[in-house]
Amino acid sequence: MMDLKRWFPNGEWRVLLALFVEIGIFAAIARNFLTAANFLEVIRLSVELGLLALALTPVIITGGIDLSVGSMMGLCAVVFGALVIDWHWPIAAAAMVTVGIGCVGGALNGVLIAEFKIPPLIVTLGSLSAFRGIAEGITHGAVNYSGFPKSFLFLGQGYVLGMPAQLPIFLIALAGYAVLLHRSVIGRGLYAIGFSGNGARYAGIAVARRIGLVYFLSGMAASVAAIVYVAHLGQAKSDAGTGYELDAITAVVLGGASVAGGRGTILGTVMGLFAISILQNGLHLAALPSELTGILTGAVLVLTIAMDRARQRKSREEQESAMKNGQVAILCGAILTGALITAGANVWLVRSLKTTPATASAGHTPVIAVIPKAKGDPYFVSCRIGAEEAARELGVELIWDGPTGLDAAKQNEIVESWITRRVDAIAVAVENQAGISTVLRKARGRGIHVLTWDADAEPDAREYFLNQATPDGIGDALTDEAARLLGGKGEFAIITGALSAANQNQWIAFIKKRAAEKYPGLKLVTIRPSDDDRDKAFLETQTILKVYPTVKLIMAISAPAVPGAGEAIRQSGHKNVDVIGLSLPGICKPYIHDGVVRTIFLWNTKNLGYLTVYAGTMLIQNKIPAGATSIQAGRLGTLEVSGSQIILGAPLLIDKRNIDKLDF
Amino acid sequence: MNRFRSEISVAYAITALLILLAFLAPGFFTRENLSDLVLANMPVLIVALGMTLVILTGHIDISVGTMFAICSVAAGEFAKLGLPAAGAGLAACAIGAMLGAINGALVAYVRIPSIVVTLAAMVAFRDALRWITQGAWVQDLPGNFQWLGMTRTASDTITFSIAGALAIAIGWGLRNLPAGRSVYATGSNENAARLAGIDSALVTFSVFTITGALTGCAALLNSIRFNQIPSNAGIGMEMKAITAVVVGGTAITGGRGSIQGTVLGVILLGIVSPALTFLGFSAYWERAIQGLIILCAVGFGAVRSRLGSRLRGDFAERTV
Repeated sequence: MMDLKRWFPNGEWRVLLALFVEIGIFAAIARNFLTAANFLEVIRLSVELGLLALALTPVIITGGIDLSVGSMMGLCAVVFGALVIDWHWPIAAAAMVTVGIGCVGGALNGVLIAEFKIPPLIVTLGSLSAFRGIAEGITHGAVNYSGFPKSFLFLGQGYVLGMPAQLPIFLIALAGYAVLLHRSVIGRGLYAIGFSGNGARYAGIAVARRIGLVYFLSGMAASVAAIVYVAHLGQAKSDAGTGYELDAITAVVLGGASVAGGRGTILGTVMGLFAISILQNGLHLAALPSELTGILTGAVLVLTIAMDRARQRKSREEQESAMKNGQVAILCGAILTGALITAGANVWLVRSLKTTPATASAGHTPVIAVIPKAKGDPYFVSCRIGAEEAARELGVELIWDGPTGLDAAKQNEIVESWITRRVDAIAVAVENQAGISTVLRKARGRGIHVLTWDADAEPDAREYFLNQATPDGIGDALTDEAARLLGGKGEFAIITGALSAANQNQWIAFIKKRAAEKYPGLKLVTIRPSDDDRDKAFLETQTILKVYPTVKLIMAISAPAVPGAGEAIRQSGHKNVDVIGLSLPGICKPYIHDGVVRTIFLWNTKNLGYLTVYAGTMLIQNKIPAGATSIQAGRLGTLEVSGSQIILGAPLLIDKRNIDKLDF
Repeated sequence: MNRFRSEISVAYAITALLILLAFLAPGFFTRENLSDLVLANMPVLIVALGMTLVILTGHIDISVGTMFAICSVAAGEFAKLGLPAAGAGLAACAIGAMLGAINGALVAYVRIPSIVVTLAAMVAFRDALRWITQGAWVQDLPGNFQWLGMTRTASDTITFSIAGALAIAIGWGLRNLPAGRSVYATGSNENAARLAGIDSALVTFSVFTITGALTGCAALLNSIRFNQIPSNAGIGMEMKAITAVVVGGTAITGGRGSIQGTVLGVILLGIVSPALTFLGFSAYWERAIQGLIILCAVGFGAVRSRLGSRLRGDFAERTV
């Protein structure tokens, strides 16, 4: 017990145990999980989150919290991108200014918390919106800086001595924080502050200055994380780091830090971090749905902390037996882990022996991995139905997984894990061109067939793009329809998804262009965000109707926004305002029958999913000859191939006449 | 006056914004706009009422957005099973109360910090819901679901009355009932409360359960305004509710705050975004301005209390 206490002063062995159990299980069920290459990838993907988690450890030890780190990443990424791409600054100077901004933002939090004594939760809740808001304001949510020099991208994508290039940064930060917390007077002071602010003050610790310091460092770490993120993804956009604060807090708390302050170690944080990233990586490799990540993270979090609480209470009540129980528990845990690892290794060995000849033989079932932009989105849900239909028809194995929200970094992570898993073909609905292309090239280099669907990557990163409709095609169709309904003259408003959504911003640009070129009478009065939330679209439409009473048409270009806008118009009784947009027929049906929503555009989403899997299978079986001008895609018949694009057909115009014939 | 010190800066902010609107965009004050805004903010208000209780006991609940989504979908599914809207609503409240009770039991009896419990609940339940529904909306609701099968005006009146009644009841109960006082006592000093004979664990458990039930109620009242239910409802609801409560002057450390403050907080947050639209601001700067207004309202209060009550010089032991 003494030794355990010495090596794991804060009971970190619990997390270590959880980590070993995870590794044991995944080694048994996930392909290519226990390989050196995979562990290096896990480390690479953990660096940005790891920097934030390191920075949050001292913050939480002082009993505070910093919710603004994710937003700070967004702000720093945008500033860095603007300096390098727009202003042509050298990388080093831009990085220095970026880190400076991180420090200023952190210091701002620190001053408000330490000097003005406003609770950290409130301050950082405010700066959470303020930082992200400034990033969105600067870029109008739309600018996506890319085209960074290769030498810089190396930092995020390259290897040094077989190690991911960003690892040294993480190790330096790790060492710095470990020394600060565990080997310095300041660090002892931070623990004292967390135990009791007053006590620390009476002991002569400069409480305000120490607290200011941890928030300052936290801002700085977030800015460094932002630079690594930009180098990793090759793009800088205002939505960088969204939601990272919660993941980072989860890692810290999982590592045994107490949110009430006074307890926590760097070792614990690092293990908490890897417990989360290995869980995500393992689930992807085992082709289990991503939704399990949240469920399991939540369960592991509650269980680990509950175990810790039970131990604390017990040791307070009857120390003797707790020690014994603890020892028994450790012994059991060790045996269990050992057994699992042995079993896992065996299964893995047997499997790898089995699969090698199987792959060579013709009986191998091809595996196609398809990634949507966001998993829960009704649009992609209906694509999936078509994809599954094709997979059944062709007898291939389909893996369908993706981020649960729009998240470019998650997409990269999932594709990386599929490369490790060695699937036969990958089809990606690209969220971010610059970011995913590097990974896709890597996949092609490993002999995996790569397709893009819904939105394209850089042309040399994939073999074919399944083109359902081009952004200019969509923009033109929407503008033409608006002009037709308005008689070529009148005011209209756009309700978009999130302000930073890349697709929508592209469409808006083409809508503006088309209106300026062909319909001088059309006037776009305002663009409002709906954040892909039906209820927000509803309220925004109500407000637009009152602020701009002359608006005669609402163009809603996010699937949930069309029913939201339709309902608002129906309830307001403005019979002369029309709604058009891009959405799914299923959720718009009542409004189209009512005549509130006049027209929506969409391609047949089921066919798109079907084509994705069909074309993927044809690629695997080498059935698309180079230079082909058409392919036979099962029930879709003959489809045109133009260059490296397979064209699905023109967008469908959906209105009263045909909506009942569509079933998606 | 002293009693309302912490609420006063929010009231100033609201008044300033309204005066600005009166001069620059009088269209804001039409009956239709005001009633639309009131109704749109009723769900947040009801959730924020529960959140006030939770924060008063010194805890926090960031799983309300997830519970909101689960209760919305559940209300829809029950209605489709043939339950009348009121029955479906009760079922939704019961499910909310059950989820809240899980949170409450883990916080009060297993003694896991509330931010950890509700963080886990937030991600775990959201992902579970996503997995079960696969993102599909609840559609083809029975005809008597939207507006409870009544006219829109009648249903809106009911929604408003329920929210108002809940606000008044909870506000009154907090001040005057022993149960309400024990919420403050638990939040001020849990040990002292226990020594005074208050079952502080039960208080904590109850406030989480009540918050769950209120979230279910909010989910129902929001759902009946539409004829289909999205399965991703309530994303960001926790931030809205917490911000409203905190802006309304309730101390995040517990023990201090009021329902009238929360009501003012909901009003301020509810009118900022439409007000900025009325004033002609671009949507791209809205979030930054919103953050600044919140920081100003809170900062102003902090500076006032610092000048007013001469800094006691202590640093709160539990700052989260």
